[in-house]
Amino acid sequence: MSSDFYTSKIVPYAAIIIKICRAYTNSKEDFEDYYQEVCLQIWRSHHNFKKASEWSTWVYRVTLNVCMTLLKKKKNNKQHFASDYVRPELVEDSHAFEDEQLNQLYDAIRQLSEIDRGVIMLYLEEKSYQEIAEIIGTNPNNIGVRIQRIKARLKKILDKKNGEFN
Amino acid sequence: MENSIETIWKNGFLKDSALVAPKLNNLYNQKSKHIVDKFQRMFKMNLILIVFGSFIVLIASFMVGLPYTGVPMFIGMNVLVFLNKKLFNSLKLVDKCKNTYDYLKAFDSWLKSQININKKFARFFYPFVFLSMITGFWMKKSGSQRIGDHAVQKLLLTYPDLQLVGGVPVVGVLGALLIVGILALLAGRIYEWDLKIIYGRIFKKFDELLADIKELRA
Repeated sequence: MSSDFYTSKIVPYAAIIIKICRAYTNSKEDFEDYYQEVCLQIWRSHHNFKKASEWSTWVYRVTLNVCMTLLKKKKNNKQHFASDYVRPELVEDSHAFEDEQLNQLYDAIRQLSEIDRGVIMLYLEEKSYQEIAEIIGTNPNNIGVRIQRIKARLKKILDKKNGEFN
Repeated sequence: MENSIETIWKNGFLKDSALVAPKLNNLYNQKSKHIVDKFQRMFKMNLILIVFGSFIVLIASFMVGLPYTGVPMFIGMNVLVFLNKKLFNSLKLVDKCKNTYDYLKAFDSWLKSQININKKFARFFYPFVFLSMITGFWMKKSGSQRIGDHAVQKLLLTYPDLQLVGGVPVVGVLGALLIVGILALLAGRIYEWDLKIIYGRIFKKFDELLADIKELRA
């Protein structure tokens, strides 16, 4: 992968790739592996980009697909499942961010299903329902309902968590 | 929770250093380790299965009255395992502390040398297996007589002027030698075909990985 390709095609989207990878992993080591694998796959398959969608949409799709594929592989190998939900106090990366509320939100996101994690990450990154549907490969009409359901679940988890501390 | 998740998300990343992308210099370490480890596991399992198979062949050959096939095959298979075990031990000497590219190059060089040695061995092994099968059937008892002798006697009734060498028809000897020659000649290809069936996918992944790294270094 040339540094030109990395700088021009990946760096502008590095933030969201990082955010997504963090939602699928529990440790810094796993996160770095996932991030590197995503970059590698983007570089390897960029010739397949047909310009039918925006480059960013394609990058998000590859990112989510890679994260989910890696999980599936680990599941099939019956290895430690990198995104398995584990209690926040056991998550090495539960304090990855400076903002404590953000750490709690990530802990809550890690409790969602793999698809729901992808949906909510894209929603939080202010992608339109149409774009989310395109990336996930689903009907845009279902996205709104699904997001409301996910948000309600996240709120419940966060409220419960805060209730434990109060 | 006072803030909405959207606000937490937005504010949380405002001053965050956690969004710094990891360096990519370690890119291929995991993949290469995974592929080499997988190959080693398969190779080890293959050797165990050959040893296990050799005992089955040996026992079965005595049970069906073909010890002249079973014993040589048992020996041949175990020599094959011994040879490959030695080669496998030499793989452990490859320095894992090298960088990924050098490590994969060292593994690639080990693999090529291992394939070359096995190809040479196959030139003897396949004909040896063939000859032990012929011998086994020839020596198998049918009543009070060996199958081979019985067959020669029958042939002599039809072709009384049949030329024999040590009690074996010359035509048969020549035919067997021809097959031995063909097997020795094609042994390399047969071995490669055999290798492709077992390790084809992993070799393909390995080649892709090496090509990627070469491109990355270019």
